[in-house]
Amino acid sequence: MAYFITETCNGCTSCARLCPAGAIQGEKKNRHVIDLGLCIECGACGRICPQSALQDPTGRAVQSVKKQFWAKPVFNHKTCMACGICINACPAGCLKPGEPSRKDKNAYPELADPGACLSCGFCADECPVEAVTLEAPPEAMAKAG
Amino acid sequence: MIKNKGYMGKILVVDLTSGEIREETLPDAVYEKHLGGLGLAAHILYARIPAGADPLGPDNMLAFVPGLLTGTGSLFTGRWMVAGKSPLTGGWGDANCGGTFAPEIKRCGYDGIFIKGISEKPVYLYVDDHTRELRDASTVWGLDTVEAEEYLETHAKEKGKKPKVVCIGPAGEKLSLISGISTDKGRMAARSGLGAVMGSKRLKAVVLSGQKRIGAHDRNEMKRLSRMCNKWVQFQPPFVTGPMTAFVGALLRVMPTVLTQDGMLYKILLKKWGTVSMNQMSPEMGDSPIKNWKGSSRDWGFRKSYSTNPDVFKNCEIVKFHCYSCPLGCGGICTMDDKYTHTHKPEYETVLSLGGFCMNQDVKGIFYLNELLNRAGMDTISAGHAVAFALECYEEGIITRKDTDGLDLTWGNAEAIVALVEKMVKREGFGHVLADGVKQAALRIGKGAEAFAVLAGGQEPAMHDSRNDPGFALHYSVEPTPGRHTLGSHLYYEMYQLWKVVKGIPKIPPMYLKGSKYKNPEKQAAIGAANSRFMTLVNCTGACLFASFLGAKRFPLFDWMNAANGWQLTPNDYMDLAGDIHTIKQSFNVKHGIEPKDCKISDRALGRPLQTEGANKGRSIDIEAMMTHYWEQFGWDGRTGKPSPETMKRLDGGV
Ligand code: SF4
Ligand code: SF4
Ligand code: SF4
Repeated sequence: MAYFITETCNGCTSCARLCPAGAIQGEKKNRHVIDLGLCIECGACGRICPQSALQDPTGRAVQSVKKQFWAKPVFNHKTCMACGICINACPAGCLKPGEPSRKDKNAYPELADPGACLSCGFCADECPVEAVTLEAPPEAMAKAG
Repeated sequence: MIKNKGYMGKILVVDLTSGEIREETLPDAVYEKHLGGLGLAAHILYARIPAGADPLGPDNMLAFVPGLLTGTGSLFTGRWMVAGKSPLTGGWGDANCGGTFAPEIKRCGYDGIFIKGISEKPVYLYVDDHTRELRDASTVWGLDTVEAEEYLETHAKEKGKKPKVVCIGPAGEKLSLISGISTDKGRMAARSGLGAVMGSKRLKAVVLSGQKRIGAHDRNEMKRLSRMCNKWVQFQPPFVTGPMTAFVGALLRVMPTVLTQDGMLYKILLKKWGTVSMNQMSPEMGDSPIKNWKGSSRDWGFRKSYSTNPDVFKNCEIVKFHCYSCPLGCGGICTMDDKYTHTHKPEYETVLSLGGFCMNQDVKGIFYLNELLNRAGMDTISAGHAVAFALECYEEGIITRKDTDGLDLTWGNAEAIVALVEKMVKREGFGHVLADGVKQAALRIGKGAEAFAVLAGGQEPAMHDSRNDPGFALHYSVEPTPGRHTLGSHLYYEMYQLWKVVKGIPKIPPMYLKGSKYKNPEKQAAIGAANSRFMTLVNCTGACLFASFLGAKRFPLFDWMNAANGWQLTPNDYMDLAGDIHTIKQSFNVKHGIEPKDCKISDRALGRPLQTEGANKGRSIDIEAMMTHYWEQFGWDGRTGKPSPETMKRLDGGV
């Protein structure tokens, strides 16, 4: 199973530039294709595509979302075990262990590079204790009203 | 594509001689039979390393394997193993390590990376989703493990997430038979001397950066089990101070009866301090060998061990270190004001082997040596043994200042110990004599020095006194990897509480007489066999020994295996599979000419002669009877320890 690019694609290359697995190939201004063996189903292509040319693995069309509204992980340090599963799950490498505090020497995860986050939700999906939730950035939401 | 199984279904096979790198797809049957991790490595290496292969030659094959459960949503399952023919023992070799490397093997799409051949020039293997290549390693050859890792992390890949690195240091490059493989800048797969195998192949490092997703049959069930397990991990009553652990140890020593240990106590200690929590407790209760196995708890009392009390380490810890998927985090990064500014918190094994084992109270020196050995890529347990062995030879007059490059090797001479280890790491002068471990040192020194060598099948045993726990004596002597403390003991068995889920194995009553452990070799052997099987499962799944201390009900290993792969096996089915995997490792040894009965640990560690004072006064172990019964538990010949010809044939023809 993988994402699929329909013929609405106009070859703008945004998806290919974003795909963390390097699974998308295609010439500029030509329809792109996704390599089934490489696609990790993060859905970033669908969110970024201005043409809404992507279908998810179940065949449903994916709506594009403005990048400033993409949901990002928020960590609940009360339930988090500092196990690092989310850090390893992130295909964009944008999570890092944070600084320990004086009282608690654990390095809890934090979103170190928000610009690189793909909003894929893998971090939340793999966390065994549900300490990660994906939330739209409040500033962007406030601005948009 | 994401599999609905916990394994990836493929391995990567690399031939350094020809430069060929190829993927192999394995049938499901292989995983159903050999599970993954250690089991998968045993299956492949048994078949592919030819009998009589030179451990440092092109025919030896090195396997890097994560566990069957790594990355599936289970906890404590982020450990990886390296396996191959050991140049130290000549038989099956493996070493286990934590850190964050294990899931990366799977993210690259593999359940194992198998490397044979010898490269002409130093190389490193780089793998990501698009690239699989051997690259020139001339810029990193000669660098220590920390420098090499830092360099490769930033230079092997230009953008995206940082790659994960395992590498050898100068010790491995110089083929030290006690060298290991390092990751996360100082976590070591140290035992069996496999660093030298990597060095002989001129393979400096393996660098991985994968993005594949790791599957699981029922991820919600995986997580449900994880949350149950985590509840026990997070239960943490406050526990007084570090030195108070010594009194717990002393209490355990003087009591004639023992309350069967519940691993929760150890969990609490590990979570608070890490393994250094045992620094004072173990010597007090008689669990630590002192002075090259010659001394006793009397020689290393509370005052002597005080300088290495657990709080000393806790106080300089700046951040806790968790292996991947570990909710406990027994590791840590400590500051030090020395040539190096940071080091991984030394482990109990390191502190004791360079401390009490050499009568050395200099904690600052131990911090330094820990970092020095990690950077060199040398096993701290074996290095400590080599030093203590030299100290005793010096005391006995077998070697003198003339042999030691002027070092005054008296017990506890901290300065001389530091200088000696520095020489070992560089293979300089007298350091060269010790750089390949105790067995080679005894041969090089001669003049009857071997009388002071405590070994099991060529491997230096660990810092757990077999006279205090006959289970250690057994596992040191009978395992296909002799001399290991991580495979079983009576104490471990009490904590695993396996009898609560596995049928037909001995149950330990809530309280028993200490002396009873030394009797009934048949029962002790049955306990040992169950330990070996269970630890095989732990090592197949990528799990952590410390997690299994929580007990089989709180650490749901069997249920996780079923949920990850959609299997419906009972704990007893898994224990049977583990028995077969254990047999493959033993057959590997037989195939390579090892006589199992020669792997028995040295007399001193068995209470021959008896100790006259201390915690283990008068304790001796009837090891021969235990070994026979243990072997019979697996259907091996009770006299020789060799699997029967029929068993060997079945394995040769097996999947
Ligand atoms: S949603 Fe989580 S896993 Fe995905 S890119 Fe963002 S931080 Fe990484
Ligand atoms: S996976 Fe969950 S528990 Fe583990 S570090 Fe991330 S947020 Fe914390
Ligand atoms: S308990 Fe310690 S060794 Fe085990 S997985 Fe956790 S951090 Fe690693």
